[in-house]
Amino acid sequence: MPTWEPPGDHLIPVQHMRPGDHAFVSYDDDEVRWEVMTAFVRLGLAQGEKVVLFPDPWLPEAEVLARLDYTGRSTEAARKQGQLVLSSMRGLIRPDLRFTPERQLGRLHTATARAAAEGFTGLRAFIDMRWVPDLNADVRVMMHRETHADALFDGRPYSEICAYDRRWFSREVLHAMDRAHPRSLLERLGSLRSVRGGDGSVHFIGDADTTARRPFSTALELALSGSAGTRRLTVDLTRLHLLSVGCATALLALADRATGHELVEVRCDRVHARTLHRLGAGSVPRLAMTEVIRPC
Amino acid sequence: MLTPDPATSADGPVDMRTATCLLRRRFTARLLPQLRLLVEECALREGLAEPRRGEFVLAVDEIAGNAVEHAGGSGRLVLRRIGDELECRISDSGPGFSETVIPELLPGLDGAHHGRGLWLARLVADRFAVRPGDTEVSGARGAEVTLAVRVR
Repeated sequence: MPTWEPPGDHLIPVQHMRPGDHAFVSYDDDEVRWEVMTAFVRLGLAQGEKVVLFPDPWLPEAEVLARLDYTGRSTEAARKQGQLVLSSMRGLIRPDLRFTPERQLGRLHTATARAAAEGFTGLRAFIDMRWVPDLNADVRVMMHRETHADALFDGRPYSEICAYDRRWFSREVLHAMDRAHPRSLLERLGSLRSVRGGDGSVHFIGDADTTARRPFSTALELALSGSAGTRRLTVDLTRLHLLSVGCATALLALADRATGHELVEVRCDRVHARTLHRLGAGSVPRLAMTEVIRPC
Repeated sequence: MLTPDPATSADGPVDMRTATCLLRRRFTARLLPQLRLLVEECALREGLAEPRRGEFVLAVDEIAGNAVEHAGGSGRLVLRRIGDELECRISDSGPGFSETVIPELLPGLDGAHHGRGLWLARLVADRFAVRPGDTEVSGARGAEVTLAVRVR
């Protein structure tokens, strides 16, 4: 089976999820599936948001809690305080039994308002889409919901990840759902993707950690080679969560050696800009940095 | 895990502040992404704002990565809140090293890249120290790197 590789234009790491974001992610591995969920839940709790989990309905609650707690401090206190809630799609639409988009969106809209009234900074929901076969829902109706949910997100403190099991949903549905969501997430923590823009720019997404130095450098070398004609290259790091010293140094060294280029523009957030400055960006004459402010 | 601890070092009590243990993990290369997530989560909870939070996670990752690469593939991390500081101690059981291996000045881009990670970690820290590890394994004492940043 060919590897699933979603388009990169709206791809972000889970750590970049913010209120108002509606994201797609998919999995086909029963270990890897927990990585995005635990990161989303734990970071949400840490920043004072209420978190509602709609896990795979075929999984026992004890396993979900054990997976959440295995990685760090216990979430028991958050559950007791009502900050973390394990729910189900059946529970959300109760007392009704049949899923309709209007019913589900209405309940989530109310839950967001309730979270704010309870003093939380927002609401985030992680929804494993295996509720669709569990409720025997029509996939086309579910797809309609996913493409008509903007009112739930626009200007509201609500974010949502919809996780699709690639072993259950067809490739056509997966592609359509990836396109339907404004955001798409990297499946694994600590992974790096590079994507070329139509203007020859190169975009890095995820974690450029020490182990990613070789693919990071290779993608940059190819982008520099491909932009030799225009003599200008934009390197976009705004969707990068971690920029290791090794990768930052590789970027500076390659830009320093790119004597045929007039300009290498690096677009990045404040942390990466400070790292690059400290590592000597000021000594690379053709390098220009543009700091992009990400919403908190 | 929120266990009050005395704020001590091998040389005796550091000060009278109470230390609260936030995280205690063993790690290998495979677990570094998870370790970064947990450190970021703790830093968020403790109120360390950006850009210092991102720099703290980066510095911890550089030191942990150094332990994995040069000190036997694994290490141990203890993250504590001590007064207004977040303190991270990373220990390993490798051959050990001292702070003198960290270059005083940033090496040029045309030279070897060794030591830059530790150099940056020391630069972004409000408190930084390297000392021999506590336990001797197969003749190697390892090293313990302490890195602390002020939360406010």
